Amino acid sequence: MSAVARLPEIPVDAETQRRIEQFLYREARLLDDERWDDWLALMAEDIHYWMPTMENRRRADKLGAYALDRGALYNDNRLDLTRRVSRFKQPSAWAEDPPTRHAHVISGVEVYQGERTGEYVVHSSFVNYRSRVERDNDLLVGRREDLLRAVGDSFQIVRRKILMTQSVLMAKNLNTFL
Amino acid sequence: MCNANDTQPRLKRRPVGRSVEHLEQLMDLEHGRMSRDVFWDRDIYEQELERIFARCWLFVAHESQIPKAGDYVSTYMGEDNVLIVRQKDGSVRGFLNTCPHRGNKVCFADLGNARQFVCNYHGWAFGIDGALKGMHASSAYEESGLDKSAHGLHPVAQIDSYRGLIFATLDPQAPSLAEYLGDFRYYLDAIFDMDEGGTEFIGGCVKSVIQCNWKFASENFVGDILHAGWTHDSGAKAMVGGPVAEVHKFPEQSYHVNFNGHGWEFNQDIVGNAATLGDKEIMKYLYVLQPKVAERLGELRSKMIGAISSCTLFPNSSFLPGQNTFRTWHPRGPGAIELHTWTFVNRNAPQAVKDAWRKGTMMTFSPSGVFEMDDGENWEYSTRTNSGFVTRQQDLYLGLGHETRLTDTGLPGNVYRGQINEANQRAFYQRWFDLMEAPSWGCVPQRDVATMEVKA
Repeated sequence: MSAVARLPEIPVDAETQRRIEQFLYREARLLDDERWDDWLALMAEDIHYWMPTMENRRRADKLGAYALDRGALYNDNRLDLTRRVSRFKQPSAWAEDPPTRHAHVISGVEVYQGERTGEYVVHSSFVNYRSRVERDNDLLVGRREDLLRAVGDSFQIVRRKILMTQSVLMAKNLNTFL
Repeated sequence: MCNANDTQPRLKRRPVGRSVEHLEQLMDLEHGRMSRDVFWDRDIYEQELERIFARCWLFVAHESQIPKAGDYVSTYMGEDNVLIVRQKDGSVRGFLNTCPHRGNKVCFADLGNARQFVCNYHGWAFGIDGALKGMHASSAYEESGLDKSAHGLHPVAQIDSYRGLIFATLDPQAPSLAEYLGDFRYYLDAIFDMDEGGTEFIGGCVKSVIQCNWKFASENFVGDILHAGWTHDSGAKAMVGGPVAEVHKFPEQSYHVNFNGHGWEFNQDIVGNAATLGDKEIMKYLYVLQPKVAERLGELRSKMIGAISSCTLFPNSSFLPGQNTFRTWHPRGPGAIELHTWTFVNRNAPQAVKDAWRKGTMMTFSPSGVFEMDDGENWEYSTRTNSGFVTRQQDLYLGLGHETRLTDTGLPGNVYRGQINEANQRAFYQRWFDLMEAPSWGCVPQRDVATMEVKA
């Protein structure tokens, strides 16, 4: 069920922790600023970008709230993400014009060593607040689990699992990445 | 597979209330004129809950969602929360999700498998057949002489299925499902009986809220392909690298068809909708399947299997062939809906093709989908502008495709030339008006007479 296998949580040095936090904060800023191509460049060629929908099931139900073969708002590879970005950039993306204002707030960043050298398992929380035209304001809150890979002097995102708190998305759409 | 629930007075219904006056002034469909009050007025909405949602056959589940005894889904009929439960004998029953004791929900899960439903409040426990089995501190009730057999869950009035789609009605007087769908079943078969294995729902349910009147969603899918070329230009360019096909240039090869307010707009390009998913495996699957469907259902319907098209089953369930999204627009007051969407596939399709469709509907017709994203905003503001006291006194236009009725096609139902049309939308609102005006099913004008067998 997990996009990232459960590994022992081996911490990293403070400098690596700092660099990865900076990486995630910068990623959030790129989304706030609609710098779609710059954001896309942070995704590895073999990215799996996944945001399942949450089902309300009894605790005793072994199937759990989400799974890879069930509902999702994102279940994307690089091509899928590229297609979404390409829509955002169309002049005829009417629901983006005038632009939506986004605030991606990232906190609670935990970094652990990944299975392979140069890979890191990164947990974080997110708050996404969107304001559109006059009074359309949407709030989405949740948690992310990433697999990052060191590339040159920066990183790329190899896996991202996004778990939101809502089971019914309380908004007409989801017009950003998280 | 489905049996009718008991139609005992266990499900009480009040006589219909007073009607909103002068509904007939709200629309002049002959001239394509309609009022905006139908999208805004609270009294009209309450009357819709009574005369549309508590009366019509509503889609409640697909057979494949509840294969085993005790399997259930929680869904809505209007704003009434219902549990749809597979019984030990293979039949399906539906119940209001409310405890007859103090009214709490008896099930908080969206779906699962249950041996019983137990209310959290006082522990009343119900079998999957709805019968009250017992409760916490049962001796206290025995002393008061509670008759357990009279306090089971409240059953829906009727439940039945067609080609895997389970429908229920809260009105014991409603005509049979076969009569309700009538000749529209001919078209439904093009999707839900194109293959001998039938269809199944895969991948769970995606839910979201749109702040719009439910009819804007239903009328869009009942006949509005016209919006696609404009609204969905960005989505089409993202998925297939070019604009939406210019369907308005080929009216000879496309239709509006409707029956009892259900409507389908379609052309015969076989894969036009499916192509927007940008997946070669799906295209190949449909092209290989098409000649087999032609043998099974004839040439015309074989060309509908993934064509540019959309359909609404009156009042509030819709689907898109090719993109394979099935959805219900649950009303939440005059200005909001809760959208539930599923992916349907042919049960016999290869797993890789099923997976491609599950992903394709998410990419296109889910809240994050490149097409749906633009629909929600349109419907929200088509609704919200009507808060203006003077704005909502201004009529809307619904007049496309006058004089396009065809009578020589040999096709069932009411058939119109050209899918760029508003004939289906007018038929949808005619049905809406007929039901809103009628004090009972017996008073609903029978405008469309089925030529297909309607006996169960």
